[in-house]
Amino acid sequence: MSGEAIIEVQGLHRAFGRQPALAGLDLQVSRGEIFGVLGPDGAGKTTLMQCLAAILDPSEGACRVLGFDTVRQAAEVTSRIGYMSQGFTLYDRLSVDENLAFAAQIRGVPDSAFRDRRQRLLEMARLVHFGARRAGALSGGMRKKLSLCTNLIHEPPLLLLDELSLGVDPLSRRELWRMLRAFREQGTTVVLTTPYMDEAAYCDRLAFLHEGRLLAVDSPAGLRARAEGSVYRLRTAKTITTRERLDDAAEVIGVQWLPGQLVFQLAAGVPLPEPLRTALDGLGELQPVTAELEHAFVQLVGGGQERQGARQAAPVAKCTEQTAEAIAVTDLSVRFGDFTAVDRVSVSVAAGEVIGWLGPNGAGKTTLIRALCSLQRPSAGSARVAGQDIAHAPLALRQRIGYMSQRFSLYPDLTVAENLAFFAGAYGLRGEARRSAMAWAIEMTGLEGTESRWVGDLSGAQRQRLALACAVMHRPQVLFLDEPTSGVDPTSRQRFWELIQSLARGGMAVLVTTHYLEEASYCHRLGLMFQGRLIAIGTLAELQVEVGLAAGAEIEAIFMAYMARERSQPPGEAVA
Amino acid sequence: MNVRRVSAVVLKESREILRDPITVGVSLLMPLVMLFLFGYAISLDVRHAALGVWDGDATPASRELVEALTGNEYFRLTAHYGSLHDLEQSLQRSEADLVLVIPPGFAADLVRGARPEVQVLVDGTYSATALLVSGFARAIIAGYRQSGRPQLLHLETRVWYNPSLNSANYVVPGLYAVILLAFPPLLTALGIVREKETGTIQSIFASPLTAAEFITGKLVPYSLIAFLQMVMVIAVGYAWFGVPFEGSLPFLLAAGLIYVLCTVGIGLLVSTVTRTQLVAMLLALIVTLMPSFLFSGLLFPIFTMPELLQLYTNVFPGRYFVDISRGVALKGAGLEILGFEVALLALYTLAVFLLAVWRLKKKVA
Repeated sequence: MSGEAIIEVQGLHRAFGRQPALAGLDLQVSRGEIFGVLGPDGAGKTTLMQCLAAILDPSEGACRVLGFDTVRQAAEVTSRIGYMSQGFTLYDRLSVDENLAFAAQIRGVPDSAFRDRRQRLLEMARLVHFGARRAGALSGGMRKKLSLCTNLIHEPPLLLLDELSLGVDPLSRRELWRMLRAFREQGTTVVLTTPYMDEAAYCDRLAFLHEGRLLAVDSPAGLRARAEGSVYRLRTAKTITTRERLDDAAEVIGVQWLPGQLVFQLAAGVPLPEPLRTALDGLGELQPVTAELEHAFVQLVGGGQERQGARQAAPVAKCTEQTAEAIAVTDLSVRFGDFTAVDRVSVSVAAGEVIGWLGPNGAGKTTLIRALCSLQRPSAGSARVAGQDIAHAPLALRQRIGYMSQRFSLYPDLTVAENLAFFAGAYGLRGEARRSAMAWAIEMTGLEGTESRWVGDLSGAQRQRLALACAVMHRPQVLFLDEPTSGVDPTSRQRFWELIQSLARGGMAVLVTTHYLEEASYCHRLGLMFQGRLIAIGTLAELQVEVGLAAGAEIEAIFMAYMARERSQPPGEAVA
Repeated sequence: MNVRRVSAVVLKESREILRDPITVGVSLLMPLVMLFLFGYAISLDVRHAALGVWDGDATPASRELVEALTGNEYFRLTAHYGSLHDLEQSLQRSEADLVLVIPPGFAADLVRGARPEVQVLVDGTYSATALLVSGFARAIIAGYRQSGRPQLLHLETRVWYNPSLNSANYVVPGLYAVILLAFPPLLTALGIVREKETGTIQSIFASPLTAAEFITGKLVPYSLIAFLQMVMVIAVGYAWFGVPFEGSLPFLLAAGLIYVLCTVGIGLLVSTVTRTQLVAMLLALIVTLMPSFLFSGLLFPIFTMPELLQLYTNVFPGRYFVDISRGVALKGAGLEILGFEVALLALYTLAVFLLAVWRLKKKVA
C-alpha cells in the first residue's frame, strides 16, 4: 500500500428527516486496497456508498474522493469512479454487449479501447458466449458479473460496490472476487459493502458499521485477534442444560447453538470464570476455539440489548401431530418443456432435523421447494411432506407447513398484532385458538411490547422474528426458510437460530436455503443441488471429508470441490 | 453537451422502447382510437331531427308546408297527431325534437293574403341543439312560398372557412392538439421513473452524463414517437374525416414538432418529480389529458369563459396548438398569422426542458 488516501471522510453525518443514517464517520481508504464495509441491514452502508459516489450530499461533514469534494466537485467524482448500486443496475431489454457499449459511451471510452476491454472483461466474467443475450434473461450471478463489467469498462481508479454478492451463488461470487483482485493488481481501489462475514474476510481492511457508527477499522486478522481467547466450544448432547447454565453467567455475551455443540463467547479480556467452568464440567468436551469476525463484531457491539430477550429460554414448541419422517422425497423430477429443473431427487428429512439446502442460482432449489409446498406439480416421482402426499390434498398439506421468504412477506402498514391476526386467519385459526396461537408466537419470538407498533417501524431483526412468528403460529410440522438471516447483525442471527433450534427440538423439520456459511453451519445436514440434481448430502464434516478438505473449509470451497467433481458435463449456467 | 453521450442515451432508449412492441403498438394505436371515438362522438351538427305535426288545417297548402320541412336532411317526419294531448305526450317522451302546429284556416289565410301563423314547439332540453333546430325551422318556414312575394330585405349569409358548417372540420383539427397533449406525456412520464424504480438511475447519476444530456437523450426518441402519432392523426383526419387542408403541411409539421417536444417535455418533467410509475401516470393524466379538454378551446370557445379562467387557459400549450392546427387546416394561415402562437410554444418547450433539467439533480435524495 502506498498510503496515498483515495477516500477521506471527516465527521460524516447524514439524516433522513429526523432519522440519522450516519452519525459522525471518519474514514480513510488508501490506493490499491480492497476495503470492506461490514454491517447488518439498516446500518447505513448504502448511505455511506451514495455519499462517496457523490450522489448524496452529507448533512454535516465532508467526503473527499480522489481528491475532490463530493459536494462542490461532484461532477469530477462521478466522471471518474465506477459505482454499482444495490440490486441490479442493468437495462434488462438490452443485450450484454449493448449494456457494455452504453456504459462505455457515456463514459467516453474510445471505440478501440472499448473492443479490447470488452473482450477482456467478458472473458474474465465468463460471459463471452452471452454477448447477444438480453440482460433480463441472465441468472442472478451473471447479472452481477455484467454489472461489475459495466463499471470497469472505463478502468476507474476507484470502484464502489454496494452489496456485491446479494443473491449471488458461491460460484459467481468466486468469479466476482477474482475480477476484483485482478483489478486491484493494476492499482484499482475497491470499496464494497457486505452483510456477510465470510465475504468480509476477503477484504484487505474492514470497517464494522453499526447503527450509523463505525465500531472498528482494521484488517480481518486484526479484528479477529481482538476476540481471540474469548471463544469456547462445548461439544455436548445436553444442549438445553448447557444453554441454561450459560445464561446464568453474566460474562457470556454470545452463544451459537450449532448442531451437537454450543459455541460461546466471553466479554473482551475476561478469562473463563471458574464457576462457569465448574458448571459446564461433565456436560461435554470444552475447548477454546479460534475467534471469527462474527465474534469480533459481537464483542464490539457488546452483546447488546438483544441478549436480554434471549435470556428467557424460548419455550419449546410442540407440534400438534408428529410424523417421524417429515419429508420423504422419492425420485422427484420437475420438467418445464425440455428443461429439467429438478432431476430425480430423493431425500428423507426426519422430524426435528434442520437441513440446509445449497446450490447455485438456477440449480432447482426453489422449484423443489415449490413442489414440496404443492405449488408446483411434479413431472415424475413422489413426495410425502408432513405425512401428506403432495399430489393429493394440497390444502391439508398447507396446514402442516410454514414458509418464510427472504423478503419477509409482512404488511408494513399494519401493526405487529394485525399482521399476526391476518396470518392466523389465513391458517383458519379462530377464537381462542387464534388468541393462544398469537400469544404463543409473540412470546416465543420475544416480541412482547411491540404488538401495537407498525411493522414498518421495526428493526430488521424484529421484522425477521415477526416473519418467523407468522410462519410458525399454526405449529407446522415442516418449516421452509429462504436465507432467513441474511443482512442481520450477528447477535440477532444467533438469537434467531436459537429459536429455530428450539422449534426443531419440538419436532419441527426445518429446510433452509442459503448461500452462506454463517447459516449453513447451524444445520444438522447439508444438501448440495447442482443442475437439478442432488449431488451431495451429509453433515458439514462429512462433506468436508468426502472431498478431502480440511475441517473448517468454507461452504464456497466445498461447493467448488463438488462442482469440480461434477464437471463431466459443461456447467452452462441455467436461467434462474 | 457531449454529442457522443447524448447519442448513447438516444440509442439505448430507442432500443428499450422498440423491444417493448406492445407499448409501442398501444402508443400508436391509442391516438387513432381517440381520434375516431371523438371525431364521431363530438358532433355539434343536427341531422334528421324528429318532427311531429299537428295539422289542424289539412289542406294541400298545409301539407306543402310540411313537405318543405321534411324535404331536406334536417328533419324527418315522425308523427301526425290526432289531438293536442298526443302532441304534448310526444314532446314529454322526447319522441319529437320539435312540433309544428298548423292551425285551422291556414290555407284560407294564405289565399286572403293575410299572414298565417304557425307555431313551432321545440324541446329545449339540449339548448344548443334546440337553438339550431329552431333556426333551421324558422329559415325553412320563412322561405315557404316566398318566391311569389315581394321582398323587403334580402339577407345573404355566407359561412367562411367551414362552408358546410360540418362540425368534424372544427372538432378534428382541435383533436390533434388534445391527442398530442394526452398520449406522449403518458408514455414519457414513465421514462425516468422506471429507471428510478429499477435503480439504474443511480448508475446514471454516478456517471459523467449531465442532467441536460440525459434529458435530451430521453426527449429525442419519445418525441419521434409523438411526431409519428401526429403524422398519423393528421393523415387520418384528412383522409377519413375529410377535413380540408388549406394551409402548408410543412408549416403544420414544423409547428407540430415544437408542440410534441413540449408535450413530451411535460411528461419528462412529471417523471423527474415523481417516484413511482403509478403516480407518474396519474400526475400526467391530471396535468395533460383532463385540462386539455376543458381549456384548449376544443369544445368550449375560450372567449366565452370567465376572465380568470381565460387567463388560466394560457398555461396549457394545447390552446395554442388548437389555434394553429385549426388555422392551418381551415383558414390556410401561416407563420405570418400564427407566429405568436408558435413562438409561445417554443418558449414553453424551452421552459419545460430547463425545469426538468433543474429538477433532475443527479442526487438520490
